[in-house]
Amino acid sequence: MKKDNPKIVLMFFSIIVGIFIATQIKMKLEMYVPVTVKSLQMTKAEVLSVNNEISEMNKVIKQKEEELKLLENIAQGDNNIIDILIEDIKHNKFHSGRTDLKGPGIIITMYDNPEERMPGFDINDDVIHDIDILHILNDLKIAGAEAISINGERVLSTSEIKCGGPTIRINGRSSATPFVIKAIGDPKLLYASVSAPNTYGDILKNLYNIGFEVESEDSIEVPGFRGITNFKYAKPVGKGD
Amino acid sequence: MIKLFFALIGILIGAVIGFILPYTYNTAYSLYISVAILACLDSVFGGIRANLEKNFNINIFISGFFGNAALAAFLAYLGDRLGVPLYYAAIFTFGGRLFENFAQIRRKLLVKRKESN
Repeated sequence: MKKDNPKIVLMFFSIIVGIFIATQIKMKLEMYVPVTVKSLQMTKAEVLSVNNEISEMNKVIKQKEEELKLLENIAQGDNNIIDILIEDIKHNKFHSGRTDLKGPGIIITMYDNPEERMPGFDINDDVIHDIDILHILNDLKIAGAEAISINGERVLSTSEIKCGGPTIRINGRSSATPFVIKAIGDPKLLYASVSAPNTYGDILKNLYNIGFEVESEDSIEVPGFRGITNFKYAKPVGKGD
Repeated sequence: MIKLFFALIGILIGAVIGFILPYTYNTAYSLYISVAILACLDSVFGGIRANLEKNFNINIFISGFFGNAALAAFLAYLGDRLGVPLYYAAIFTFGGRLFENFAQIRRKLLVKRKESN
């Protein structure tokens, strides 16, 4: 044994060490550091956000693919450009609130205190005011109402609710009691938003004794906006999308 | 000088072979392998030193080479299981000895050179 050349033995084992080192280097390892809970959580959050980003991007890709398909169809002559523009108009009208809409929702009928008995000393407590309507509208919007109309007037972001003595002006048109508010959305949520204890609707009904009837329906129709929107001061910034 | 460099040349040859071989192992074992590599390197340096001192024993060398590597990897594994970084023991021991061996080798080589001059 002792006659074995130490150099060759050493060389042989050096080769073994070299192979292991090279394999280790090849794996491109990160520095080995102790993993703390904080770093774990941070990495977790990072992974989550990246995953979210990926899913968002996938959605965008899908959307763009659909658009591309549409454009390809146009190029092939399968779809008429006019049809597509009409489709576009429909889409825009729908989103700008100019289309009649149908869907599940609730109908609220509000009228002034019908009883002769006055709970308060002030007559103002017994009639419906613009601010009452506004509060109810806001409650409905919070509950996720997608389309709202009052006495057949669609409520848009520019719609005003103006007090006009015994009447209320919406979209420049006066209407009087009873006010019928139609809202499309999740009927249960909408119903709860105006009739749950301590909501504004509940207070109106039970404290001020104002006529307030809520019905949830499977299918109600909300008319589209019929007026004209003029932008006198506002101008779009940039090209937009 | 060739006496010092045969180990280095061996490591280089091994590195080339390792890069060429398609074989890799599970990343989970990388810590154990790292510590084992350190132990092996220490053994090789020890071997070089013993060779220079002319008391190289192949049995001692081989048993040290594999025994140290196995023990170091086992320590690292045990430390992982116990939640205590026991591989530090191996790193400090073998790292320290590596430098010690290297210092001895340097001295031997330089002194020898002086004598031969």
